Amino acid sequence: MVTEKVDFGLGLRPEHFEEIAANPGRVSWFEALSENYMVPGGSPLHWLDQIRRDYPMALHGVSLSIGSIDPLDTTYLDELKTLADRVQPMWISDHLCFTGLRGMNMHDLLPLPYTEEALNHVADRVMRVQDHLGRRLVLENVSSYVTYAASELNEWEFIAELAKRSDCEILLDVNNVYVSAFNHEFDARTFLRAMPKDRVRQFHLAGHEHRGTHIVDTHDHPIVPDVWELYAEAVRLFPNVPTMIERDANIPPYAELLEELDEARRIAEQVRRETAPKAVA
Amino acid sequence: MSIVSNAGSLADLQRAFQDYLLEKSDGFAAAVRDTKKIDRVTLLGVYRDAYTLRLIEVLTIDYPGLMGMAGPADFDYMARAYIAAHPSHHPSVRWFGRGLADFLAATPPFNGSQAVIDMARFEWAMGDAFDAPNAQPIGAEALMTLQPEAWETLSFAVLPSLHRLTLTFDVPQAWQRRDEEEPGNLEVEPSARPTDWAIWRPERMTNFRSLEADEAVLLDALIEGRPFPELCEAIVPMVGEDQAMARAAGLLRVWVEGGMIASFAH
Repeated sequence: MVTEKVDFGLGLRPEHFEEIAANPGRVSWFEALSENYMVPGGSPLHWLDQIRRDYPMALHGVSLSIGSIDPLDTTYLDELKTLADRVQPMWISDHLCFTGLRGMNMHDLLPLPYTEEALNHVADRVMRVQDHLGRRLVLENVSSYVTYAASELNEWEFIAELAKRSDCEILLDVNNVYVSAFNHEFDARTFLRAMPKDRVRQFHLAGHEHRGTHIVDTHDHPIVPDVWELYAEAVRLFPNVPTMIERDANIPPYAELLEELDEARRIAEQVRRETAPKAVA
Repeated sequence: MSIVSNAGSLADLQRAFQDYLLEKSDGFAAAVRDTKKIDRVTLLGVYRDAYTLRLIEVLTIDYPGLMGMAGPADFDYMARAYIAAHPSHHPSVRWFGRGLADFLAATPPFNGSQAVIDMARFEWAMGDAFDAPNAQPIGAEALMTLQPEAWETLSFAVLPSLHRLTLTFDVPQAWQRRDEEEPGNLEVEPSARPTDWAIWRPERMTNFRSLEADEAVLLDALIEGRPFPELCEAIVPMVGEDQAMARAAGLLRVWVEGGMIASFAH
């Protein structure tokens, strides 16, 4: 099956490879985790190639470490480019964060201080990565739990300015906006409204774990009603942006993710009807 | 210990954050704020806990047989020791557990259990074969058309996924039972004698089997790239001069039919 419209997609997870190949259901694209396919051969690349034959794909990385003070890892970038040559993705995304330094990887999406120094540093690196890959980079807002005393800007100001300076695009993770808004006590809608309209390339939706005093972005639960509400607002502000549901742990049966995707579709359709120009009687 | 002021530079902040995660210093706490609802140390604890728990999970996935042998508490103890000694230096967690067997072999108290070390070596080799470079095994017909003189210089290459191990415990047999036992109850018996094993992946399914003593010698000589006459010589002490060529040809056929041989040259 080849779908033409890229609207509602799912994360490609090994638990679902066979089911996607046999009975994919209503899904128009997949997002593959780049590092999982930076391997020499075997089953992961077999399934990647097979599913790519039928569906458009985006590549989504976790280890670009765009904000790190370490030098850019050109070996990693070369491997990413090789993978991109194989997959021919619609776009390549990663996270606005750092994942380690001194050659180490903490395998976590660690937030950056929102300072002018960090902005200059990241913008320069984004431009160099874009030159290396020969395409624009799409960067995702991360969930965070701590606020740096040194921060001079809000997160949304930082992202908007970064997009302007480096010409990158934005993967707007609606759940992450919700999580960070709760943790840092800001208004999630203010964040959404600050995103430059022409730069939002993709939405992520996911679940989280609420611990009362703070929320942890676990990506291992269904999407909660408040995040669906925020998603509706995102669709109002940024119509026709491809949406994808991201589940990273506690992977449910594929059918459950398709049901969640139907809910995203229903909300987007409802927003579209609400905002469509009314016929004049 | 690194101490960070509120106005720390990007480099200072990142170093302090990483040192906090690695439990080398708590100085980073000075660089972040409490919220109205909760203190900063609890919030930083989310990152510190996540760092370790994520890597323990990676080891749990890569080493289910070790989990079966050790059970959750001992596995957790071992994993934390490894994580502290071997921080990840690779962009992918796929490679994080690469050094575990060597770590266990070199580090008390883990080096007291050869069964545990053998299981770690076996499981890592299985994982390596799983996503090793693909190669199409040759078929038996490819060798049948060779002229007799070609065998004088004929040498072979095995699949890139092929691993050779020598184990003193029956870990592959135990590994096959890993899902049948409660974690901690997986018993591993000592082998009657050290046993040679081959692990390889002809298509997408990974195979493993034990090797006869002369088969292991022959296969190791083949992996070294030695020509067929030398392969035969290698097993003369074990099977005798009159049987060596027939035995070598027979084993070669078994390997070809088993999909272990990637190519030959003469």
